[in-house]
Amino acid sequence: MVDQPVTAVEAWLQRRRWRLRLGLAVPLLLLALAVLVLIVGGFALRSFMDNGPVAYASIEEHYKYGSIGSEPESGIPYWIWKVLPSLYPEAFDHRQDYSAFGFLYEQDASGRKRDLPIGISQRKVHGIDVVWLNCATCHTGTWRTSPDQPAQIVLGMPSNNLDFYRFVQVILRAAADERLAPDVLFPRMESAGARFNMLDRLMWRAGVLPNFREGLLRTRGRLQPLLDEQPAWGPGRVDTFNPYKVLQFGIRADCRRGEVGNCLAPEEVIGVADFPAIFNQDPRARANMNLHWDGNNASLQERNLSAAIGAGVTDKTIDHAAINRVASWLGTLKPPASPHRPDPAVVERGRTVYREACASCHGRQGNGDYVFEGERLGQVEPIAAIGTDPSRLDSYTEAFRERQINEMFVGTEYQFRHFKKTNGYADLPLDGLWLRGPYLHNGSVPTLADLLKPPDQRPKTFVRGLDVIDPANGGFQSPPCTPSAPPPKGFCFDTTLRGNGSGGHVYGVERSAADKSDLLAYLLTF
Amino acid sequence: MNDIPKPDPKSSPAPATDPIFRELRFRSLTVKNRIFRSNVSGRFDNEDGSLTQTRINWECKFANGGVGAIISSYVPVLMEGRIIAGYATVHRDDFIPLWQKLGDAVHSFDSKYIMQLSHSGRQMDLPGIHNQHRPALSSTSRKDPLNGFLCQAMSKAEIANTVAAFARGAWRAREAGLDGVELHAANGYLFTQFLSSGINDRTDEYGGSLRNRARFLLEVIGAIRAAVGRDFHLQVKLSAIERNNVMPWEGKGNTLDDTVQVAQWCEDADVDAIHVSTGSLFPHPLNPPGDLPIDVLATTYDAMISSGVYGLRNFMMFRYPLLRPIFRWLWFRLKKGHPVEAVSIAEARAIKAAVKIPVLNTGGYQTASVVRKGIESGAFDAVAIARSLIANPDLPQQWAGGFDRPAVPCTYCNKCLVNAPKNPMGCYELARFPSREVMIDQIMSIYRARPLLRTPLKAEV
Repeated sequence: MVDQPVTAVEAWLQRRRWRLRLGLAVPLLLLALAVLVLIVGGFALRSFMDNGPVAYASIEEHYKYGSIGSEPESGIPYWIWKVLPSLYPEAFDHRQDYSAFGFLYEQDASGRKRDLPIGISQRKVHGIDVVWLNCATCHTGTWRTSPDQPAQIVLGMPSNNLDFYRFVQVILRAAADERLAPDVLFPRMESAGARFNMLDRLMWRAGVLPNFREGLLRTRGRLQPLLDEQPAWGPGRVDTFNPYKVLQFGIRADCRRGEVGNCLAPEEVIGVADFPAIFNQDPRARANMNLHWDGNNASLQERNLSAAIGAGVTDKTIDHAAINRVASWLGTLKPPASPHRPDPAVVERGRTVYREACASCHGRQGNGDYVFEGERLGQVEPIAAIGTDPSRLDSYTEAFRERQINEMFVGTEYQFRHFKKTNGYADLPLDGLWLRGPYLHNGSVPTLADLLKPPDQRPKTFVRGLDVIDPANGGFQSPPCTPSAPPPKGFCFDTTLRGNGSGGHVYGVERSAADKSDLLAYLLTF
Repeated sequence: MNDIPKPDPKSSPAPATDPIFRELRFRSLTVKNRIFRSNVSGRFDNEDGSLTQTRINWECKFANGGVGAIISSYVPVLMEGRIIAGYATVHRDDFIPLWQKLGDAVHSFDSKYIMQLSHSGRQMDLPGIHNQHRPALSSTSRKDPLNGFLCQAMSKAEIANTVAAFARGAWRAREAGLDGVELHAANGYLFTQFLSSGINDRTDEYGGSLRNRARFLLEVIGAIRAAVGRDFHLQVKLSAIERNNVMPWEGKGNTLDDTVQVAQWCEDADVDAIHVSTGSLFPHPLNPPGDLPIDVLATTYDAMISSGVYGLRNFMMFRYPLLRPIFRWLWFRLKKGHPVEAVSIAEARAIKAAVKIPVLNTGGYQTASVVRKGIESGAFDAVAIARSLIANPDLPQQWAGGFDRPAVPCTYCNKCLVNAPKNPMGCYELARFPSREVMIDQIMSIYRARPLLRTPLKAEV
């Protein structure tokens, strides 16, 4: 009797207290579940809606670090970018950054090395920080007067240090490597400073990592056969159109000989050329010059768009505003004045020679500004006449042109209309010439002095990738080398390999030694 | 309060010709006017069910005010049928002299006294020590949906026992010299629990068809007639429309047609009058009609928390303002489109049209012209009033004096209702009083006449 409940209601409550009341429990459970889904969904949605690049007020910073929209489709999640050097130390020369491939790191205001190198931009893609290339990747280089001097960074000059071929090979190799597994990556990313909550972790495991790796494997499947067909590019060079063909259009580079279909033809498979300088774009447009090495497009806007695609943007991810901001700044960007100080009297004589032999095709250096005048400036010189290596010309084909025009940005104001197949290489202005070595479109002639020699006297092999200027010969120091014995610094460039031929452009080589010496002195001032 | 109504001789007839003040003749009872004090009570009485001087004082307040008859508060015929411990009962013969005292007192003020015989069934607000240890008896074992009062379906033996208890209760009322009895077959108590299609889930002859559901009531009527004869006034209070779905998942219960049929069966069983109310619960959004002061409930419902398994749930809905809209929605959605005064006049009219015996109606009556028109138009023969008389016990005199409405009318705030579980019955509408002291004085006035106290006998201690 003592333990009896005081009232009937108490007895009922005691009986019911621990019984699962389905009528109440199920709705409560569903409600809790719904609330949970709402909360998780809310966070996920917030994250999903979190898109946008890191913004820079200064145009130079925007050029160096601002996004043009390459990250969403082509980029690497920031935290993976951060840990790759420590995952593959041998490929990164045991450095904790990307300088092994020639990426340039600046110092911030407090003197610390910046987190990302020039040419790598950061953008949030559905809440995930992703990094990838921008215009500065391929168009920012360095020079110095001697190896022990600090390097001077010049925006808009060719990226003479960047070995993009090696960089891409390392990234593609990682695609199938076990070190890119989540269980390896998470501890690394966290020790690098990443903070993941449960939801992040889930998102990374289920989405970010598989997507990244899937994309990388697809890229590798398409790109690797092409790279395997090509000699190593060496620093300062890139194949503009062939990766574009295999990645954007799925044209196969691994066809068997004689196979027909969606295949790269053997004669178009090597399109490697030097990164160009991109100073003074407005005068080029005003002069209606044919742009690209082979002069296949006279529209500056289309050329910019095409180059952005090369950096990894797509018609869905492209950031037109960011690109336009860069383009309008590049319009009037001047190269720094040449530091070379040849004898003024010799220079004056050289000017006369130049007027006779060069100016009609290349324009001329005026007082301070380059003068974009010359009857053949920006015109395409037929391959039969100019005689330089045809591989780059051949890599741009009529079939590819048609696909570019018919498949890219179709139905938008950005649809390509001006691409054309040419039969030679365009005559270019020589503004900033002192920063543009090695010379010719494929960088096959190390110095200006060598370019004035007959082709058979030009160096067969030389070192690329040194940024010490050569005040005697023009361009950068390019000592001879043996391809079988790689130099300690730089890359041994072999002109006998396909696409690397240093023949052609024999204009002026027949002139007297005195004329050539005078001309060289004048060219050193460009 | 500024626009105190004035007597208006033009619109109000002289008492001699006013139908409100015409006597009402039932078969065995004549009431001097058409104003009945409807059943209402407070916790005035002793825990054992014996009534007190306070109850006598309470009832005489209305008799003195001029009502023709007083329907007692709910009077249980068994201890197991109490709504609130502390209400007087009629379950023992030795209480007959007590009720006789009460009847004599009311008669001395020239009013009749009708005892309302009742059984709570499961609607047991404060069970008290007699009942708290067991579920209440009912037609069903399904607990009350609003408060979660527990219950147990009655066996046939228990039904028979209860029928007999009603008959004995009626006999005691007659022995005490009272003027009649009313069966409380409305507002959710035991009779409703049998009558209602929304509550009665029995499968025996007391459940199913309307006739079966009415069987218990008709058996009680028969037993009473057998006990007291045909010449003792017997009336039945019915809920015309049940609207049992205060909790939206509950069935709606009996319709007006059902209740008209039950009223006719009552008439056939020699019942002398029908008292029309509404709603299958008490309280119900439409009975008593008016507001529901949830802020007051937050201070009084705590007395009932332990009475039902939903007590705490309800209290939290009253206590926490953020939860109040839930209860407010449950309660007030059923009020839409219904007036406060004469809330069930249409149902009374329908029942009156179907029976020949007199019909009483309750539901917010306070305006003489409304009542007069109701009588003249044949909606009812008399009205039963509780709250408006608590506010103004002299309401009949005010009407007789030509006032259509009292100077300081009942506001239908229902504060008297929600104070009932915890505080003495009375008007708690502070706005009706010049000060709180005056309000408390009026509530305390029922304690003025005190019984003579004495030393108990040895056998009594």
